Amino acid sequence: MSIPGSWYLILAAVLFTIGALGLLVRRNVLVMFMCIELMLNAANLTFVTFARMLHDIGGQAVVFFVLVVAAAEVVVGLGIVVAIFRRRTSATADDLHILKG
Amino acid sequence: MVNRETMAQYLAIFVLLALGIVFGAASLVASALLAPRKQPSAAKLAPYECGIIPSREPPQRFPVRFYLIAMIFIIFDIEIVFLYPFAVILHQLRTFGLVEVLVFAAVVLVAFLYLVSNGALSWGPPKRLVEGMGSRTSETTIERVGAGASSSDRAA
Amino acid sequence: MSFLGFLDGLGGPHVRDGVIHLVVVLASVHALAAVTAIHVPHIRYLAILPEIVMLGGAVLLLGVASLSDRPVRMSVTTVGTVVISGASMGLAWWQWADVRQHGPFTTVAGAVVTDGFSALIAILASTAMLLTALVGDGYLRREGVEGPEFHVLAMVSASGAMIMGQANDLIVIFLGLEIMSIALYVLAALNPRRATSGEAALKYFVLGSFSSAIFVYGIALTYGATGGTNLAHLTSYLSTHALSSNGVLLAGMGLLLVGFGFKVAAVPFHMWTPDVYQGAPSPVTGFMAAIAKAGGFAALLRVFVSSFGTLRPDWRPIVYVIAIVTLVVGAGLAVVQRDVKRMLAYSSINHAGFVLLGLQAADARGVSAALYYVFTYSFMVIGSFAVVTLLGRSGDVGHDIAGYRALARRQPVLALAFAVLLLAQAGVPFTTGFLAKLQVVAAVVDAHSAPLGFVAMGSAAIAAFFYLRVAVLMYTPRRPRWVPPGREIVFDPIVGPQASTAAREGSGVSGQAEPEIAPGGSLDGGTAEGAVATVPRTLAELRLWSGSERTVAVVERLNADLLIDREAEAVEDGAGGRRVRVPPAAIVAIGICIAVTVVFGIVPGPLVDFTHHSTLLLLR
Repeated sequence: MSIPGSWYLILAAVLFTIGALGLLVRRNVLVMFMCIELMLNAANLTFVTFARMLHDIGGQAVVFFVLVVAAAEVVVGLGIVVAIFRRRTSATADDLHILKG
Repeated sequence: MVNRETMAQYLAIFVLLALGIVFGAASLVASALLAPRKQPSAAKLAPYECGIIPSREPPQRFPVRFYLIAMIFIIFDIEIVFLYPFAVILHQLRTFGLVEVLVFAAVVLVAFLYLVSNGALSWGPPKRLVEGMGSRTSETTIERVGAGASSSDRAA
Repeated sequence: MSFLGFLDGLGGPHVRDGVIHLVVVLASVHALAAVTAIHVPHIRYLAILPEIVMLGGAVLLLGVASLSDRPVRMSVTTVGTVVISGASMGLAWWQWADVRQHGPFTTVAGAVVTDGFSALIAILASTAMLLTALVGDGYLRREGVEGPEFHVLAMVSASGAMIMGQANDLIVIFLGLEIMSIALYVLAALNPRRATSGEAALKYFVLGSFSSAIFVYGIALTYGATGGTNLAHLTSYLSTHALSSNGVLLAGMGLLLVGFGFKVAAVPFHMWTPDVYQGAPSPVTGFMAAIAKAGGFAALLRVFVSSFGTLRPDWRPIVYVIAIVTLVVGAGLAVVQRDVKRMLAYSSINHAGFVLLGLQAADARGVSAALYYVFTYSFMVIGSFAVVTLLGRSGDVGHDIAGYRALARRQPVLALAFAVLLLAQAGVPFTTGFLAKLQVVAAVVDAHSAPLGFVAMGSAAIAAFFYLRVAVLMYTPRRPRWVPPGREIVFDPIVGPQASTAAREGSGVSGQAEPEIAPGGSLDGGTAEGAVATVPRTLAELRLWSGSERTVAVVERLNADLLIDREAEAVEDGAGGRRVRVPPAAIVAIGICIAVTVVFGIVPGPLVDFTHHSTLLLLR
């Protein structure tokens, strides 16, 4: 007996929601990055679960692409953060207040 | 009830977890044992030695190079993920697969060349300043210090 | 001369050995392949050649720039980029002609499609790249950030938009989206001299990757509900299975719509747009507006109209509401903006609302109108931001609308160009903007959503106001100068006494400033003796004189309006009486934009036919 697929789907949905809420609530940029990663990996988990349920290898192949894209994205994000916060001590989104209106 | 066979799948994960904990603990113990004990005195930690007591904390040194290397590592590390499925079916893909991977490697190589030519991987004291900053003179330094002070005032 | 001899001449025995080794490896792989060859999808390389040229050109440019021992000159980079995007555009045109003759087809195991639609997007993306290379050339020289990065990243981004146009699989759409977006995040952060550039990039990045994550989750749910990500598979599956009440599929579709909504800046997913458009370097903003909208709407139209076509009753009401909110918010908030780039950002949101009208119509006519809109808008927005780029002085600042007053007297040609482009965006007849708006509204009225058409026309009227305001302002003579130059600091009655007291106590500091009557002193009787205090002229002198950051801040705030006037004068005088220098490349770019906008506005036939045929050639 194995764990039913729907459990994984529910777990993925919960992870995705945590990530989305965290992104909206947290102010630290690095924590926001982690939340984005959490959302992407929730999607990955969904892909793998569906691939298993549908007996289709395609869903698992997708995970490779999403992983690489996520890594590329986070590296670019970190690069931007490093460029901005080089002379600052904290990395909070509230410091970014020049552009508004 | 979840049977034994299902649980056995997770054995590897538990082993990895245990190894991770052991490694983390070992690193902490090793650094505690091997690190120099003597704490520097308050005078040594002060930024100036000529008697001026700073009114506020100086900004932390921010070693960008470490972050840079780490980020470059992540991106090149994750590219390797494409090579694993390729390696598994290398022979079945015939020439097509090899050519595709060579193209892929060439693109990654160009990115690597770009990094090297920009000095992103050269360790040690930087030979060239960051582009856009220009050569550093006392005037520009004063300017930058002034800019930093006014921006921190605005934030406060 | 034999091949191996040629190699010897090229790089000596090492290169030769390397190549021989490679050939041996190739041969051995080929020999071993006899085991069980798996099916490799057939690839028609001609179908993806525009992307290959664009991406390969970017890699080549980067490689050359990395390997040359001297920095590659800006002109070389720009010419290279123009040649590459020109080649890509030529190939896309050739594809269009080919598809028109032989019909659309799919390749790479159905993951990529070549039809009129994809060819149009490829033409659009490569043209946008060409124009941006021309605009960016002068900008990069002025800002001193010369280097191949701008052009390379822009080409990568353009190829991403092309991939989105050609994608016939949700995963390929996602990859195209990410190739386009990640390059745009970096482009937004390109100017290290502007603090706002980094801030804009970070905001764009966080919200962009948020939308990407939502998009991927949408793909995952769609995959789970239908068993595949290929659009052709989706179409056939949905037409044979009545799935309209499937919660997973509807959730997936909704998340896809949200993801696209972020990319094309539809309300309520538009929050990033004004900040990013204002903060990003001006040529990047124009490029971003054109490319992101082209790629986003290409994929959005293809997925929703052709694949989710059977689910029209489910998504049309959602798009209806999004379109209305987008139109109203975009036009309404653009009116109150004081920064030109910010105003154009809200106007781009308004334009996105118009394109959504074409989607809401959800038929061939609507798609054709939406394509026409995206195509013509790209030229208008790149041209507009090209003018804004030129007028922004070194450092890419001074984009205040007040600074555009009386521009016509100083730079008549540039002012005329900007006026034409703004009027086109407003939808004035004899420009492509008018036809674009007319077509989407007609399509949506024909599709029995007439109220949406009325809202669109109302928002166009509001939009006309803020476009005309700038256009008229450029031809309005400047206000009489009532602040003497260099005397911008005036004292408020409240601040005056404090400053005066400080002056009495620490008069040693203010020794250099000449004695003068404080304007504030005459208003307040209590400062009779302060009236003869020395008055600093500039903020720096005030800071030195009062020693209080708070005083400086208060004065700064009180003079906010005054500073705007000063800004206006500074822009008008060209920062010290200079007119801005207009590089020839930028003239060419703006000229092309205006030519397309006006010529096809007066002679609408060819362009309307072009988009119409592109839609008819859409592979379903």
